[in-house]
Amino acid sequence: MDHKITMENLQEIIQSIPLLSASASRLLQVTANPDHELEEVISLVKTDANLTARVLKVVNSAAFGLMTEITSIDRAISYLGERIIVSIAIGDCAGKLFEKELSGYEAAGGALWKHDLRTAIAARELVVQSGADISPDLAFTAGLLHDIGKSLISDYLKDTAPDAVSQISSQDSYDYLAAEEKLVGIPHTVAGYELAKAWQLPNELCEVILHHHKPSEAAEEARALTYAVHLGDNIAMLGGFGTGSDSLQYHLDSGYNEYLNLPPKVLDSVMLEVDIEFQKLEQSLEGMGG
Amino acid sequence: MAQVILGVGDYGASNAPGDEVKTFALGSCVSVILLDPKTRTVGMAHVALPDSSINKAKATEKPGYFADTAIPALLAEMAKFGCHKKGKGMVVKLCGGANVMDSNDTFQIGKRNALAIKKILWAYGMGAVAEDLGKNFSRTVAISVETGQVTLSSPGRPNWNI
Repeated sequence: MDHKITMENLQEIIQSIPLLSASASRLLQVTANPDHELEEVISLVKTDANLTARVLKVVNSAAFGLMTEITSIDRAISYLGERIIVSIAIGDCAGKLFEKELSGYEAAGGALWKHDLRTAIAARELVVQSGADISPDLAFTAGLLHDIGKSLISDYLKDTAPDAVSQISSQDSYDYLAAEEKLVGIPHTVAGYELAKAWQLPNELCEVILHHHKPSEAAEEARALTYAVHLGDNIAMLGGFGTGSDSLQYHLDSGYNEYLNLPPKVLDSVMLEVDIEFQKLEQSLEGMGG
Repeated sequence: MAQVILGVGDYGASNAPGDEVKTFALGSCVSVILLDPKTRTVGMAHVALPDSSINKAKATEKPGYFADTAIPALLAEMAKFGCHKKGKGMVVKLCGGANVMDSNDTFQIGKRNALAIKKILWAYGMGAVAEDLGKNFSRTVAISVETGQVTLSSPGRPNWNI
């Protein structure tokens, strides 16, 4: 049985996926710029009536337990923070991709969204704790998008999970990326990168998507961010939120020490923070991804 | 058949023969399984971190989350089913505690969890008769209350027992 995906096939798959909305696309570009102002985010959201309505719905959801209803979009955005606005915008446009059952990885529908959300929270927290000169909210966005390629290649990987897993345990494949490449020709990182380019995502995000399992290969300007997502991804998998058969089937790149100055026992506090924050976000963004 | 599903940081027990005690996708978390042959009770805690000193409030809210608070809480729960308060006569099994490939000390959280749990069990004079710890894959664990059989599963792998 041969399920190989060519680059042409991949482009066809990508063309069948809806583009990001203009406001979501613009929002990702604006928030990737380290010098942007919150006002720019607010005026962008205001141009999109659907997004505005979703943001107001989320801020007034039970998860935030506000005593009085917030009806002003300005106040809603400053209360929720950029990362939640970005999550809502991405979930609105690409919810189906995140929600999809990843049958090729033997993972249920919604597993990708949960994994991505936990990676995002962990990456953001690692940036905060390391004091690195990276925007914590950009780390969150990058975490949210890092594995998007899995939903593109999953159908082609159907019934290959036992083979992939045994290739890795017998050391015939270095990691799950290598197994994906052998089985279907294109690993999820490359598939995600091509989608990110088609979506015209900012360069840092494209780099993270392509290199999150080998951060040392990311372009210098995106390397620290890629390391943060690499570690966040591993933390999500260690926490029991992988995306099925590929969970923990990758190598840790300890080179992060050069880019992120993490305190000892950082893992304990980040894992705890991820659990607490995930509960809150998952509840407030319910129905967004999975 | 009823299922007693335990999430991260939960603990629970059952002595209903038709029940199954289950937890999903342990990564670095460790499932502590206590089987009491005398009362035919099965207890389990899904432990996430070794030490509660990093967040006492969380430990009060969810004692099953940390190794040092989970085991006393699980024993107290099982005492409600007539089991010995200090775990005398109980059979201990451990699973989970996975690590990342090429893990360094900082990321050996699975190993630290398992060690913390073993130390606390030793203080009660208890030791595991069976364990499936470490390595680099996630584990879902189900225990039949009737037979005490512990079944593990992981995506892409055939099921196995300990």
